[in-house]
Amino acid sequence: MGYRLGVDIGGAFTDLVGYDDETGDFIWVKGETTPFEPSIGVLSTVKKSRLDMSKVIMVIHGQTLVINSIITRDGAKVGLLTTWGHRDILELQRANRRDMYNFRYKKPKPFVLRYLSLEIDERIAGDGKVLKALNAEEVKRAVNKFLKEGVESICVSFLNSYINPEHEIEAGKIIREVLRENDREDISITLAHEITREWGEYERTNTAVLNAFVKPKLAHYLSVLEKEIRGMGYKGPFFSMLSNGGMASFDFVKEFPIYSIESGPIAGVIGGIAIAELMKEKNVIILDGGSTTTKASLVEDLTPKVHSEYYVGRDKFNPGYPVKVPVIEIEEVGNGGTSIAWIDEVGNLRVGPKAMGADPGPACYGKGGQEPTVTDAYVINGLINPEYLLGGEMKIYKRLAVKAVKKIADYYNISVEEAAEGIVKIANENAANAIRIISVQKGYDPREFSLIAHGGSGPMFAPFIAEDLEIKKIIIPTIPPGVFSAWGMLLTDIRHDVIATNVVKVGAETVNIINKTYSEVDSSLTRIFEEEENLSADDLVIFHYADMRYKGQEHTVKVPIKTGAIKEEDIPDIIEKFHVYHERAYSFRLQDSPVEIVNFHGVGVVKVKRPVIREIEKENVSVEDAIREYRDVFIHGDYSTMPVFDRRKIPTETKIKGPAILEDPTSTVLVLENQELVKDKYGNIVIYRG
Amino acid sequence: MSVDPFTLEIIKNGLVVANEEMFQAFARTAKSPVIYEVLDFAVGMTDSRGNMIAQAPGVPAFSGVLDFAAKEVLEKWGSDLHPGDVIVSNVPYESGTHLNDVTLALPIFYKDELIGMILNKGHWTEVGGMAFGSWNPNATEIYQEGIQLPCVKLYKEGKPNRDVIDIILENSRLPEYTLGDMEAQVASMKVAEKRVQTLIEKYSVDNILLAMKKLLEDGEKYARLKLKELPKGEFEAEDYIDSSIAGTEEPVYVRAKITITDEEFIVNFTGSAEQVMSPINSPYPATVSGVREVYMALTDPHAYPNGGFFSPLKVIAPKGSIFHPIKPAPTSTDWEAIAFATDLVWKALAPHVPDKLTAGHFLSIIATIVGGINDRTGEPFAIVEPQPGGWGAGYNMDGTSGLVACGDGETYIASSEVYERNFPILVERYMLNVEDGVGHGKHRGGFGVIREYRILNSQVLVTIQVGRHDFPPWGVNGGLPGPGNRVIVYRDGKGEEIRRISAEVLKKGDLISIRTSGGGGWGDPLDRDPKLVLEDYRNELISLEVAKKVYGVVIDPEQMEVDWEKTESLRKKRRQC
Repeated sequence: MGYRLGVDIGGAFTDLVGYDDETGDFIWVKGETTPFEPSIGVLSTVKKSRLDMSKVIMVIHGQTLVINSIITRDGAKVGLLTTWGHRDILELQRANRRDMYNFRYKKPKPFVLRYLSLEIDERIAGDGKVLKALNAEEVKRAVNKFLKEGVESICVSFLNSYINPEHEIEAGKIIREVLRENDREDISITLAHEITREWGEYERTNTAVLNAFVKPKLAHYLSVLEKEIRGMGYKGPFFSMLSNGGMASFDFVKEFPIYSIESGPIAGVIGGIAIAELMKEKNVIILDGGSTTTKASLVEDLTPKVHSEYYVGRDKFNPGYPVKVPVIEIEEVGNGGTSIAWIDEVGNLRVGPKAMGADPGPACYGKGGQEPTVTDAYVINGLINPEYLLGGEMKIYKRLAVKAVKKIADYYNISVEEAAEGIVKIANENAANAIRIISVQKGYDPREFSLIAHGGSGPMFAPFIAEDLEIKKIIIPTIPPGVFSAWGMLLTDIRHDVIATNVVKVGAETVNIINKTYSEVDSSLTRIFEEEENLSADDLVIFHYADMRYKGQEHTVKVPIKTGAIKEEDIPDIIEKFHVYHERAYSFRLQDSPVEIVNFHGVGVVKVKRPVIREIEKENVSVEDAIREYRDVFIHGDYSTMPVFDRRKIPTETKIKGPAILEDPTSTVLVLENQELVKDKYGNIVIYRG
Repeated sequence: MSVDPFTLEIIKNGLVVANEEMFQAFARTAKSPVIYEVLDFAVGMTDSRGNMIAQAPGVPAFSGVLDFAAKEVLEKWGSDLHPGDVIVSNVPYESGTHLNDVTLALPIFYKDELIGMILNKGHWTEVGGMAFGSWNPNATEIYQEGIQLPCVKLYKEGKPNRDVIDIILENSRLPEYTLGDMEAQVASMKVAEKRVQTLIEKYSVDNILLAMKKLLEDGEKYARLKLKELPKGEFEAEDYIDSSIAGTEEPVYVRAKITITDEEFIVNFTGSAEQVMSPINSPYPATVSGVREVYMALTDPHAYPNGGFFSPLKVIAPKGSIFHPIKPAPTSTDWEAIAFATDLVWKALAPHVPDKLTAGHFLSIIATIVGGINDRTGEPFAIVEPQPGGWGAGYNMDGTSGLVACGDGETYIASSEVYERNFPILVERYMLNVEDGVGHGKHRGGFGVIREYRILNSQVLVTIQVGRHDFPPWGVNGGLPGPGNRVIVYRDGKGEEIRRISAEVLKKGDLISIRTSGGGGWGDPLDRDPKLVLEDYRNELISLEVAKKVYGVVIDPEQMEVDWEKTESLRKKRRQC
């Protein structure tokens, strides 16, 4: 056996983790991210690990190329074929005014220009019947125009193709033929129904167009990586992290790059779930406090919430671009360790969303940053040890932090420490808001969840959030925060989702249609695993879900459905389960209303062997031995002295009362006065409240 | 004990979050799609005197009505308010909007002291009246529009007032939905109340009151700052509402005079026409809402819309006018006149505040209902929708195409595929309205849409009200007006333009062609960058002829290039005449 590698590209760093299934050896390396040519950073990080690549058995990669290419609009010139009468779909969008008081509001700019959106004479009806045959001549003419205009990637998205894709398939064949005749097979093709079989023409078309937009670039990038890493002697398979929390072969992702639109944060959730499982927790909120943002995700029954309702660039005032691929639900707020504190027009203190990032970073880094940040506040109040950040590798200047925060203190005519505590309070409140959005606002009570906090600032926010939201238990994982996402990648299975819309009333009379639709979903999954992944269907495990609703209503809830053929006698159970799920999400049930399935959702998984977290050896040490110093920390408006522990030296399974600070070279953990901590046998820190 | 400014900030955030949680809770638990899909509701919280401290409106037309309802409750019930009471109110004239929008109010108590009020105003799908859905372009007095609830107790000290509830339900065509929405409304208000009580427990009632006061003060302070940036003086605008939707012989004259000083922003509608016997009348609180929307646009669209922020704003509208109707004026399609309250202020100020305002937009919501009994399933169906259209050009930008009107906000136009699957219609075309065009200018208006429904059922009933046809979206500084909204109905292939129809029968094969207007232009078309004219031609948005005739730009269609020489001489000649 040998190592399995996870390589994750982040904003500033590219992280690599390696795990040897047999020996349990675990290594991690950080390299610099090279935004202009990410493969350089990846390859140099791999080299930095000094691993013998011929002994590595699997490479799992998480990249940010897809999302970056969309955000910077740096991708292919796309030509789009649409149904006659529906050419402007990308411009019309859903016509909503999200920024509703802004009379100079502009919609997100379409990714295809109008003159490259061409209408084709063809029509499929709402029930899937062909109303008008595809006009092949028009398709040929369109492709010739695209060739003349220098189009690099062609997308086909016809109305109602989600229910009957035959015109898209036919058009695809014609396009391929014309490209072959012109010796231009380098031009890539995306057929919308191959990306998603859900209804909603704008969302599906936009998703397909974005796939077409990033496809040439991503395919090239992955090919370069394959070639170079093979050159180092690697013989195993390449996998890419997907947004659904699983992974897929490079070949699949080259064809459907849009499925990998989110990866790093997703891997963090997968890592969080693994910790939860280890700790025998079923319901957890996973908090990732980064340097510029805080992300939160709610996991119920160890299952992440996977929805195909993702948007690029959506916020309070921007509708963003819809992407109908399965993505784990994550809420992100602009609040992290390097977020800037500022005073608004009417004199209120705010933190974020602007942040200093790694360069120049907080004022205390001494790299030229002048703005007061959350990290500066931690340094001033003694929550972070200026001598010990990154184990002392990095020099911290407290006087520069004081200088920056003094601006805030002077404005309110208070001490620098009081101002710093104000910054900490507002930052904590912002982070708590992210959790309120995913829990309280969706009908969940955060008190019924445990909080898993990772990332640089996650463990600093967590104790305050727990107080605020009355969360009883906080878990700070033993995996170093900087490489938590890369570690999460090693835990992902090979997973694909197929979601197909077919509106079916649930009843004894529709059992056949339901079974038929699921078996179509299953054969799509089997085909993907056999053809795209080159895996045997014997190892494939399939789960079924249904997006269901009361007839006449638009909103659906996702309900797990038993796998395998449904029988008539199963119907009442399915309906009852829907009532229960609906009631939890929307607080009422319509007992007598007919129930419909709108989307048939199949999840296919091939399990991968996971790294196990090993128990740490028990040393005969006392709590006192772990105390590095007693430090004066400014908290609740005054200085109080609290012990600072070396996290690594704390004996396991021993209770320590707060207040306390735990330090190790990569992170700081704060425990408040009415909290108690225990280091468990794996090295995780568990904090109990009250 | 007073708290530090940062803790006060956290309490303020708590009060704001209480409103957001109430908003989400109602959106999640309401039974009617108009609530959870269209977000046609607003929630808010006032202090003990009815000043709006925090609110979350789902559509902009709701940004100014909750405080009127709160003040009405305080006036009518005063010392007779008790913990656990919930008051219901929907009478339009002095405290509401159209009858469908039902306000519930829940007083917040600390011990025996009233400290504030929680409000939730939602569009109920059904409140009775002469037509299903309770709004109808043909109504001539309010009694045809549904049940009126004159600020009465729905709950008394925590117990439901069965008498009132039974009367409400008996008057609804969809009692189950009405009850469901009402209960969801009450439940969401309790969520907010609980949050406020938790804040009181944690931080003391005095600090909550302090935070409420601070929210209002912050809003007012910010408004004064923003007011400083606006031009000072008097500004005026006038316009007409199409007679076809007002049910009048002559177009309805409307006007506004705006006075801006360092302290105040006064909008005076005196001189506007009297109320009409069609339901487009805008109740006074709705008029104020319409003005608040454009006030937000002018000052800071991202400002927090509370009572403090609106405090410099005064709205004057004489009683009995179209902007302040009195009983028994019908108001069920009030959105048509509300839009003019917004648009008049907009029109008066657009040339003076170019960094915030654009030229005129298509304005009319063109509310459309297509319904009937589905031949295939034997079940009733109904499409109820607003239409998107073109927005006006700005001083440095072309207008946005295909956007819902100013009275709508985060309102989604339905997917054609969903319609075709659920209803017996074919959405034959849904595209930019390049056929009727836009208001041209140095910067041109955005395009309206063409939306065409082919009827696949033996028969359907259609209701449509088309405004802004005779008096189209206006241009600024020499920019041209848009073409105006149009709807054409084709029966047996023969087209007829319609302006206001109510439950009219269409048959299989007939076609409804909705063609909304493009927005107004900004600046002289002859000043438009010829490269942008070429882009519009390349994108098939304008013809060669328009490029030449309107813009004075000569294009070589073969080379897809501007003929600069010919363009220069043509423009020179055109400028001379």
